[in-house]
Amino acid sequence: MAEIDEVNRKITLKLVYYGPAQSGKTTNLMRLHDLLAPDLKGEVMTLETQNDRTLFFDLLPLGFRTPSGWLVKLKLFTVPGQVAHDATRKAVLSRADGVVFVADSQRTQSVNNAEAFQNLEENVQRVGLDFASVPLVVQFNKRDLPEAQILSEEEVRARWAQAPWPLVFSSALIGEGVKETFARLLEQVYPVLDKFCALQESHGVDRQSFVAAVTGG
Amino acid sequence: MELEPHTFDREFDLAELLAGMPLARMAQILATLLAGEFRLVTVGGQLMLGRAEPFAQPCHAAIRHELETLGHLESASDGEARLSAAAGMVELVLQLSARYRMAADLHTETVQEDYAALQHQHAALKESEARYKTLSEELEERVRQQVETLETAQRQLYQAEKLASIGQLAAGVAHEINNPIGFIRSNLSTAQQYVRNLERLAALMKAGDMAQFQALWNEADMAFVTEDFAALLGESVAGADRVAKIVADLKGFSNVDQTEEEIVNLNDNLRFACNVIAGQIKDKAELVLELGELPRILCLPGHLNQVFLNLLLNAAQSLPDQGRIKVCSDVLNHEIRILISDNGCGIPEGNLDRIFDPFFTTREVGSGTGLGLTVCRDIVQAHGGRIGVESKVGAGTTFTVYLPVG
Ligand SMILES: Nc1nc2c(ncn2[C@@H]2O[C@H](COP(=O)(O)OP(=O)(O)OP(=O)(O)O)[C@@H](O)[C@H]2O)c(=O)[nH]1
Ligand SMILES: [Mg+2]
Repeated sequence: MAEIDEVNRKITLKLVYYGPAQSGKTTNLMRLHDLLAPDLKGEVMTLETQNDRTLFFDLLPLGFRTPSGWLVKLKLFTVPGQVAHDATRKAVLSRADGVVFVADSQRTQSVNNAEAFQNLEENVQRVGLDFASVPLVVQFNKRDLPEAQILSEEEVRARWAQAPWPLVFSSALIGEGVKETFARLLEQVYPVLDKFCALQESHGVDRQSFVAAVTGG
Repeated sequence: MELEPHTFDREFDLAELLAGMPLARMAQILATLLAGEFRLVTVGGQLMLGRAEPFAQPCHAAIRHELETLGHLESASDGEARLSAAAGMVELVLQLSARYRMAADLHTETVQEDYAALQHQHAALKESEARYKTLSEELEERVRQQVETLETAQRQLYQAEKLASIGQLAAGVAHEINNPIGFIRSNLSTAQQYVRNLERLAALMKAGDMAQFQALWNEADMAFVTEDFAALLGESVAGADRVAKIVADLKGFSNVDQTEEEIVNLNDNLRFACNVIAGQIKDKAELVLELGELPRILCLPGHLNQVFLNLLLNAAQSLPDQGRIKVCSDVLNHEIRILISDNGCGIPEGNLDRIFDPFFTTREVGSGTGLGLTVCRDIVQAHGGRIGVESKVGAGTTFTVYLPVG
């Protein structure tokens, strides 16, 4: 849950990129760093990797100043996707204000996607969040791969037709759909945050300006 | 395990990022780099490192971390470039410190998590262990009861088996006794007739009526009667002797339960068992005894009688209309060997392994408990011996009992 620091006049949010191993979570974060232009943008901090695989997490801090003079800080995390790192995944997911589930579009990864999604649901509950209400966007990544190798958009849409979450197709490698995914998450996070700390009323930030300020328009 | 509930993703302030750093060394280095005194203060103005007193007209360089300014580096001299370079150095140090803190705290969080999970597992394990213990105790008790029930049932079955063989024995004996009893009875009633004639003759003799006496003597054919009377009585005595012998043999079976050991010649027991069975098979089978010299052994004769009778009954039951049962005994390698063979229907090879198993029977239900051979084996083994079988379908079966000598 977002943190309000009255002394330093700061609101801190935590957003988590979740998904199976090698689906492109870290790549998403790297691209966001390049694509976004908010007031404040930190560097991507990659804590520890092994052969390109995240062992702890990656962190990208973003922020902007509200008209009220407060700092809204967003910390974007990625989790390690490998099954073995479940305890770390769970710790990183703790206190999340929103989640992007990065699925791998490759046909061969369908089972991994399903298992990772189930793992997300379990861990959301284990860290005391409500799966039904936590802001969530599902991203199908690697759309640049040959058609034969990946699930078609129709197939994906059919499979996720009953799901309430926004579905975005992306290629993090090229940078397509990455910003859109993030914007869709911000749109969902805003109402919760507004309720929590009166963003609109006390800080003069509406939904549109919130998304614009974080993404840099 | 009490660990501080630090969350790895919390916001750090300057004091926390500097905690645990070699501050004295840092102060030295900064003083050298800045060529003089300096101050490192938080955004709130709190001194972290360097000169306690504020400078009159200081130069500032912001110390930034992530998106925010956490503090300032101040120096009296006006070397802007040097100051910002030194501030950059401090920022790098803080960044490394933050990385370390986050990694350490995340690690702690996951370890705590794992530990909690382990404890949970441990508790669950202990609980299931306790459950299994109760269960196994219950099981043991149930097994004990089952064994008890089984033992009782087995004892009853053994008893039933014994009764069954005794029943068969009784039928044979009844048949044997019936025959002599039958003719003794008819002889006696003839004798009663003869005695009545003698009484009448005696009365005529007393009265002195010799004519009448002579007439009656001739009429009753007393010449034949005197001769026949003696024959009748002789026959009856022989019949009574036969009954007495059968009854004497029967006594051998009255001590089936006798648990006292006796020194006996097993040939006597074999003869006795053959006598018992003879009545039952005399119409349909020939009983051949080839008994060799045997040493006397200490045994439970009643029990061994049961074995022999059982094997003989088995043989008799397997016989065709005209068969032969052969009983042999001899000594072989310090063992008494007793063979009881028949030329009956034989036992299929598939059944041979199982015939000593409890309740295994090929006869129709009701004609035995299927314990006969099991009992035989048990008795022979209790005597330190063994029992074997050889059989060929259509040719016959031989049971061999080996008993140790002395
Ligand atoms: N073709 C293609 N490859 C991609 C795309 N996104 C990521 N990859 C590649 O997939 C591999 C894994 O990407 P990462 O971003 O490290 O995956 P991750 O989800 O962070 O993996 P873990 O840290 O192990 O959980 C890398 O080789 C990426 O270059 C994409 O959109 N298209
Ligand atoms: Mg990664």
